[in-house]
Amino acid sequence: MNWNPNDMDTYIQQKEYIDTLLVPLLKLETNPENMKSSSSSTEFLMYLSTFIENQFKGRIMLLPPFSHTQSMDLEILTETLQKDISLLSFKHVFYLTTDSNWTSSKLENVIWLPSIPLESMDKQLRQKIIEDQLRQVLPLLTKKWTE
Amino acid sequence: MSKNRVSRRQFLSYSLMGVGGFMISGTLMPMLRFAVDPVLQKSGIGDFTPTPQKVDELTDTPVRVDYTIKDRKDAWYESDVSYTAWVYKDGDAIIALSPVCKHLGCTVNWGSEGHPNEFFCPCHAGRYTKNGANVKGTPPIGPLDEYEVMVKDGLLYLGGTKPNTLV
Repeated sequence: MNWNPNDMDTYIQQKEYIDTLLVPLLKLETNPENMKSSSSSTEFLMYLSTFIENQFKGRIMLLPPFSHTQSMDLEILTETLQKDISLLSFKHVFYLTTDSNWTSSKLENVIWLPSIPLESMDKQLRQKIIEDQLRQVLPLLTKKWTE
Repeated sequence: MSKNRVSRRQFLSYSLMGVGGFMISGTLMPMLRFAVDPVLQKSGIGDFTPTPQKVDELTDTPVRVDYTIKDRKDAWYESDVSYTAWVYKDGDAIIALSPVCKHLGCTVNWGSEGHPNEFFCPCHAGRYTKNGANVKGTPPIGPLDEYEVMVKDGLLYLGGTKPNTLV
């Protein structure tokens, strides 16, 4: 499910089935020299999370990316984010990111993946890479689901 | 000289009629064209999309066929949209099933781990038999949709979805 009114109606009716929230954590780097790499990892992260949403539409709600710039304090962000997200009452919450700083934060269930530059790939290769990445993420999801 | 000399009055009225008619038709023609436009619109029959799948490589085991619809317009947003179908042969007929689970829209897979010879939805363990029929007792409420199928030059073409006709 996406964060839009139509899907939200479905969610409200089918709450017991759609029990997982996926939050992409997006780091926007505003130094001019990092703009390119930042945009590349943004593309990768958004491509991957859209693909995961597409595959698991009936179980996962995809939140619009939660973005922060490089100087924001992750500890404070973690605290407020976790507190606010918990109001949504999803049984499982996963954070998907390409920024390794989050792995050392107190945030739980962070899935970190190294960013892969997709911009130079043709469509088929891109699809294959994204599917491979999903295969990495999948065990983490199913493990939580079967707990 | 001859009897059918054109008088000044006649000449003026002819040329006025000519020019006036030209101007009126210039405004009326587009109006008429707009009025009948809905009739001239192409119907949905032409909406088949080629896939890379060769038809003679199909067997009675479903295979995954990915294809892309180019330049799809959604308001101002233009994009290529990827679709997937599970395609197999039933006798001579080609069956293409939509991978969209009838429960809440996840993507189903054929022959995934622990679920040989059936379609399995990883979200809530929904199951479907090969012809797309939902297995009773699992969450899905209906059979998988079918794609319209067309064969051209040995390649598989897929159209829109229709309700399952096999179950």
